[in-house]
Amino acid sequence: MSNEQEGALSGYRILDLTDSRGAYCARLLGDMGAEVIKIEQPGGNTARNIPPFAGDDPHPEKSLHFLYRNASKKGITLNLETADGLAIFKRLVKDADVVVESNAPGYMKSLGLDYEALKKINPGIIMAGITPFGQDGPYKDWKSSDIVDYALSGAMIGTGFPDGRPTDMPGSPGDDAVSVYAGVSIVTSLFVRGGTNSGQYIDASSYKASRLFLYPWGLVMWYSNYEADRPLPAGEGRLGTMIYPIIPAKDGYVRVVALTPGQWEALLRVIGEPEVLCMPEWKEFYYRIGNADIMYALIQEFSTKYTMEELAEMGHREGVPIAPIYNMEGFANSPQTKARNFFVELEHPVVGKYKCPAPPYKWSVSSCSIRKSAPCLGESNEEIYCNELGYSKTELASLKQAGVI
Amino acid sequence: MSKIPLEGIKAISFGVGIVVPELGKIIGQLGAQVIKIEYAKQPDFMRTITPDPNNSPGFNESNRNHKVFSVNLSTEKGKKMVRELVKTADIFCENYRGDVMERLGFDYESVKAINPEIIYISSQGFGKDGPYSAHKGYGPTLCAASGLLSIWGQPEDEFGCGGSFPHPDNAAGWQGTMALLAALDYKRRTGRGQFIDMSQAEVAASLIGEAQLDFTINGRIQKRIGNRNPYAAPHGCYRCKGNDQWCAISIYTNEEWESFCNVTGNSGWMDDPRFKDLASRLKNVDELDSLIEAWTADKDHIAVMHLLQGAGIAAGFTMRAYDSILDPQMNWQKNIEEMDHPVAGKRMYPATPFDMADMEFPKNTPAPVLGEHTAEICRDMLNMSDDEIMKLKEENVLYLAEEKESS
Repeated sequence: MSNEQEGALSGYRILDLTDSRGAYCARLLGDMGAEVIKIEQPGGNTARNIPPFAGDDPHPEKSLHFLYRNASKKGITLNLETADGLAIFKRLVKDADVVVESNAPGYMKSLGLDYEALKKINPGIIMAGITPFGQDGPYKDWKSSDIVDYALSGAMIGTGFPDGRPTDMPGSPGDDAVSVYAGVSIVTSLFVRGGTNSGQYIDASSYKASRLFLYPWGLVMWYSNYEADRPLPAGEGRLGTMIYPIIPAKDGYVRVVALTPGQWEALLRVIGEPEVLCMPEWKEFYYRIGNADIMYALIQEFSTKYTMEELAEMGHREGVPIAPIYNMEGFANSPQTKARNFFVELEHPVVGKYKCPAPPYKWSVSSCSIRKSAPCLGESNEEIYCNELGYSKTELASLKQAGVI
Repeated sequence: MSKIPLEGIKAISFGVGIVVPELGKIIGQLGAQVIKIEYAKQPDFMRTITPDPNNSPGFNESNRNHKVFSVNLSTEKGKKMVRELVKTADIFCENYRGDVMERLGFDYESVKAINPEIIYISSQGFGKDGPYSAHKGYGPTLCAASGLLSIWGQPEDEFGCGGSFPHPDNAAGWQGTMALLAALDYKRRTGRGQFIDMSQAEVAASLIGEAQLDFTINGRIQKRIGNRNPYAAPHGCYRCKGNDQWCAISIYTNEEWESFCNVTGNSGWMDDPRFKDLASRLKNVDELDSLIEAWTADKDHIAVMHLLQGAGIAAGFTMRAYDSILDPQMNWQKNIEEMDHPVAGKRMYPATPFDMADMEFPKNTPAPVLGEHTAEICRDMLNMSDDEIMKLKEENVLYLAEEKESS
């Protein structure tokens, strides 16, 4: 187990009813010290079925997605579609600070668990509803997925090579966007509640959050070419590697940022100032874009003499950002990743010991770190139901029998 | 009690580029007062991309809700004024590499000596320590160094090229904001400030956690799979009618597949043994994708989205900026607003994003032109007279934008 230290959000309790969308939001709150209780239906959260799995073994405790996005959480089972389950959930709401859920719009209300109802139980409760398209509006009942989120974010039309197909982005950008957006809204609400004692409802959609999280400039860049009495400017296309070239090294590829004249001259020094590229016309950024193919062919002759690390070091020394294109192994083993201890060791009852990426920052006073590995199904049932709510072990068994937990 | 969440919170920003200005813009949308320290003669590099430093669209987006204090930090008088502003601030944010902040006398230790409860966030490409800590980090190089770019592209291409946009810059702006607000609440509860060291490369890496675990647990180095998905088919981005118009479609279950076949008038595909279940569809995915693209190719991309969503299938077209202005859900959510900038004029910008029922948010303000608020800040926050201000202007300590009323 990692750090038991106090975090910035220690003392707050979060009830996490999310499935896959929004699970990362509660994970971030947990990393910052909040006590997060993941509440799953007795059969387990459907996110447990998302492949790939540890050891490629399709087992409910081994989904990498579930393991990653549910670290720093406790876990209980509870069936909200039973009368006893509802009553238990309402007891939990009494002492909780935040409820995060990702059900379809209207579902929580159908259970009598919408914000108005929860507020009557606990006026300070903060509730965040996380959905693909929002709680309201013409698209509210639409379905989404990672690739659909990405297409609608405005960023996909610009992803890939100019003459190729728009290309998906790895990971779950729409999920991450709405998770962090909801996280910002929740933490703001906690801060405000400190003065007002009153809670808040937060409507968080991937549709809204993903363009802000990925590329809010899309709108302003296009609009900067707009003039009311002229034909519409051309829509965005794919720029590929025209702005940020990718060049081969001895052992792989590196990416270069040579936008300014200073950076271009620095790049020339890195590759040994080949005469042909020192001609003045190459100093022009737009000339380089227009003649990118020739430029690459010329650069390649020189760049392939050096390793990725050598080019990155030389770029740093001369003043042009150059970075190795690491694969997953290269990243995990890079000296920077190791020096910052980005991977922390966790222990999971079923998966065993493994290394997991930590949050992307280090805090000097309150700790921000993975608190524990993801919960096994019903892992904290005894702790919450018996120790806290006062059920006996026999009662717990009959609740289980009745399908409540 | 104010309904503006961060009313009364003051932030000093030494941010340039995207990440830290974005963070300032977001806390400004929540009601914080954000003061950008920027000497007009050494402006934020984002202003220098365009010929007119006051008309850089990217700068003008990311620096909304900032007031600018244009002060020459190579002078002791200039530093002293910034130290005065720091005394009453809650938040300090910066993204200068190496020892720049130390040399200026505004590193965490120096700022903490003036204001012990300050929350100080430093956002660096590679973080504050480690062998690459002094390396310049731009989004596109951080995508490379984090492993993301190695899996971001089509399998048949020589290498993945990712997007035209500088990921993870905006993502890091949001991640940093969440940290800052949590630290602010911690300060409210305990009185303690702190230092937060954010690595933008780690932001990119932490958003592909599953791929990282696939390596650390399974020893598998994931490869580029383009628009395919090993657990869904069809799953892709299909060419539609018109110039460079596409619609993304993903189908995970047999139920969705049947619905797709019916609504597209291809019920014959349901009985086709090549496509009868997910395993068969994945096995014959090339044929499947060609058939689907043959169906989409002569249809309008937005109509395809509406047709499929109406049948319960996840579909979305590759939206551009112009489409977002016309989109019904975008308008329903009021995601876009017009703003008037003194130089850029009236333009569309993303609106205040927050949707919290019981809160109010101040109107967004346009990005500052060079030196715009220098005199105002001197008068209102530093209690200086007009004579003192003009004297410091002549000594090249301050830069003042020309004030309209003084002509």
